[in-house]
Amino acid sequence: MADRKAEIRSIIKDTKSLPTLPGIITKLSALAENNKASVNEMARVVSSDQVLSAKVLRLVNSPFYGFSGRVSTISNALILLGVNVVKSLAMSSSIFEMMEKNFLGLWEHSLGCGVAANIIANRLGLPDIEEISTAALLHDIGKVIIKIKLSDDYSELLSLIKEKDICMLDAERELLGSDHAEIGELLARSWFLPEKLIEPIAFHHDVMRSSTQFAKTSVVHVADVLVKCSGFGFSGDDYVPRIQPEAWKKLDLKEALVEEIVAELEDRLVDCRNFSLEIQSGSEA
Amino acid sequence: MSTAEISVWRSSQAVKHNLRVAVISGDRTISSHLVTWLQGRGHQPLEFVADENVLGALYFDPPDAVIIDLEDAGSDMQQLIAELKADSYFSMLPLIGLFGNALPEDVDWEDYPLDDFLVRPLGHKEILNRVDLSVQRIRRVLDNNPLTKLPGNTSIQNAIESRLGNDAAVCYIDINNFKPYNDTYGFSRGDEVIRMVARIMANAVREAGHGGFSGHVGGDDFVFIVKLDAAETVSQKIIDHFGVVATDLFGEEEKAKGYYVANDRLGNQQHIPLLGLAIAIVPLNTPKMTHSGKVAEVAAEMKKFAKKSGKSCFVVDRRKS
Repeated sequence: MADRKAEIRSIIKDTKSLPTLPGIITKLSALAENNKASVNEMARVVSSDQVLSAKVLRLVNSPFYGFSGRVSTISNALILLGVNVVKSLAMSSSIFEMMEKNFLGLWEHSLGCGVAANIIANRLGLPDIEEISTAALLHDIGKVIIKIKLSDDYSELLSLIKEKDICMLDAERELLGSDHAEIGELLARSWFLPEKLIEPIAFHHDVMRSSTQFAKTSVVHVADVLVKCSGFGFSGDDYVPRIQPEAWKKLDLKEALVEEIVAELEDRLVDCRNFSLEIQSGSEA
Repeated sequence: MSTAEISVWRSSQAVKHNLRVAVISGDRTISSHLVTWLQGRGHQPLEFVADENVLGALYFDPPDAVIIDLEDAGSDMQQLIAELKADSYFSMLPLIGLFGNALPEDVDWEDYPLDDFLVRPLGHKEILNRVDLSVQRIRRVLDNNPLTKLPGNTSIQNAIESRLGNDAAVCYIDINNFKPYNDTYGFSRGDEVIRMVARIMANAVREAGHGGFSGHVGGDDFVFIVKLDAAETVSQKIIDHFGVVATDLFGEEEKAKGYYVANDRLGNQQHIPLLGLAIAIVPLNTPKMTHSGKVAEVAAEMKKFAKKSGKSCFVVDRRKS
């Protein structure tokens, strides 16, 4: 197991880029053709994709620009990098040759979480809503690493989940001696992302371990649970965990409020489904 | 300077080995030769072909120098060079062009903003020395501000002089409440603010179209030049974008209150307002603008107005004389 951890560490160290869905790139190229494309329009597309968002944040937080660990939202990254740099970055992204069902499911799950976190933060009147949504969008980035860089293990994980009837997290710990939260944290650190994003990624399954970003981590945790519950996307298993009582307490949630959040989420997920279909048809073209 | 100091200074100035050198060429033979030579010297070569991906790859992981094969038919290398050099952060990245053996007598270097060039056939000693020299030279001659990589005062003055009488505007940016921020949060945080304003300004100017200019006077003073009819839009965009980005500069509590508490020089507690930008817009198309000194003088007056409110804003000089 210690060997596996060392292997995972070295894989993460060498990870400079990750592939994304071709449909996202098609959409961004269309925007790039239009010279008047604004920061807001670009930000909307970029922030629908966890991989592209992570890459943009990696770039703006790289020592080259001198803002290491400071920039936590896609809008800010776009403003500081400039539309041209982000266009070129997107165009140079490697893409999946084929649209794979599991990856699409994970992409949808991440998109859904970003939306859910936005609704929750909004309803609770929390500050830094975009930052919280970004953290939620990126919370399962560790799964992308497992899926792409440890693809044999990923297939084995899926069979282990079926065979033993356990959740993804337990299967990862059993097989890898690590889990996607820890792997995501390592990637986020090696990509110089801000602490404000790292804690929600690292502790979204265990909010109590969050020290400085407890509220944000709690929102991401709740968003994750609600999206799993909604049936939108696929995060690796069909298991819906319970909302951790500490998160419930920290956010001062009430049943009525959660019902309102769920109702709004259902509405917004209709848009997400349509967007996903659009991305899938863009990918076939 | 003592001998010891000089040797320390020299070693910090010396070109380090293990430079990351990008090689952009469609010619496999050339590119593999270059790679072998660079490796032999202890550098780290990065091979690219000139396709739509190369710019993104360079942005994503910037090298220390670039060798670009201009004989590579079928791709627009000139466009690539121009695009790269248009970003101030890449102006200090040495670009070495590789020409065929039929180099014209009068290359128009305006069209090729290169730092050095080589002509086929290639000798490995020459190439390696050119790479080292161009890295060294660009560090030596940079007029650009070391913090923001933006052009400094000589370039600013030239840019203004060359546009006197045109339908253009020189816009001066000053950061409100920068000094207390620097004193309270420390120099490195202050430097981050400076770099942010520089990026925001340069991006907004670049996105406004051709003919723009961005410069850094020094400290928290910046200058940009755009077409007169774009000056107000670009100024507003810079102010808006700074407002958005400034959210990453303060804690939640400070943002909610709109100020932070710091001691002034006498040790008294003061409420310091959050950072903002004041922009003075000076049109260049009036007869009174006869030299760059006059522009600076008018800008100084305008800046006083812009800073009066303490909030982010821009003011335009509409006086005819």
